[in-house]
Amino acid sequence: MAIFDNTDHLSVAFQALCDPTRRAILARLTQGEATVSQLMEPFELSQPTISKHLKVLENAGLIEGGRDAQRRPRRLAPLAMKDIADWIEPFRQQWESRLNNLDAHLATMKQQKEK
Amino acid sequence: MPFVQTATDQTGLVIDRRSHTIKLTRNFDAPRAEIFEAWTNPEHVACWWDPAGEPLAACEIDLRPGGSFKFVTKDHPDMPFAGTYREIAPPSRLIFEALGATGRVTLEEAVGRTHMAVEIECQSAEQLDQYLRMGVDVGTAQTLDNLVAYAHRRSTVSSG
Repeated sequence: MAIFDNTDHLSVAFQALCDPTRRAILARLTQGEATVSQLMEPFELSQPTISKHLKVLENAGLIEGGRDAQRRPRRLAPLAMKDIADWIEPFRQQWESRLNNLDAHLATMKQQKEK
Repeated sequence: MPFVQTATDQTGLVIDRRSHTIKLTRNFDAPRAEIFEAWTNPEHVACWWDPAGEPLAACEIDLRPGGSFKFVTKDHPDMPFAGTYREIAPPSRLIFEALGATGRVTLEEAVGRTHMAVEIECQSAEQLDQYLRMGVDVGTAQTLDNLVAYAHRRSTVSSG
């Protein structure tokens, strides 16, 4: 689990996740690895911009890539993503269950009104 | 969404550490007035608040600015979700303070469907971490403990 070296690793990771473009890049990488030029296409961003975002994601330990920044494909760093997901997941599931309950309850409210 | 979601997940979750805010979003097939009612009438809240699906053991609501509320689940009677209402603006907005954070429920309606956003604004990144941890089961809170312990170990190793 050689992912985060600094004490505030979660802050760094979350900082990286704050940006919608970077989240979109991560979402794209969940479908498989991609080179910088492959990433440029869907996002209509310039190469320096994409490279800048990739750098932030790499520094946060969220993605892995090769030394040759232009050619080597980037991929998700599976353990890093899992660490964060494990940490957030219980909270998310709790709200997912709660809002599923609310959804079901709203249906009941509607039925009672119709009676 | 920072994380990979499966197709069955319907609740969006975004965590912005810069503004210490957790934002949950969800769409419902119901008018927003009903959802507002579901949030503010204790009879209704009691039916859905507990993620375990059990009716609440107690649900007290004093619906006015400055009025207090308390939701008590069967599983965790010692950990009520309690606080004070700050703004009550049916059918679009409900603002309250709870557990040291500000909660904002916003309801937007379009063609019979309602988009609901629940924002939980904490006072600091540290409080946000605590907040995410609160109310989750012991087993899952353990995960964070492990992670914190792990981070400490690593920082001790790298600094010492």
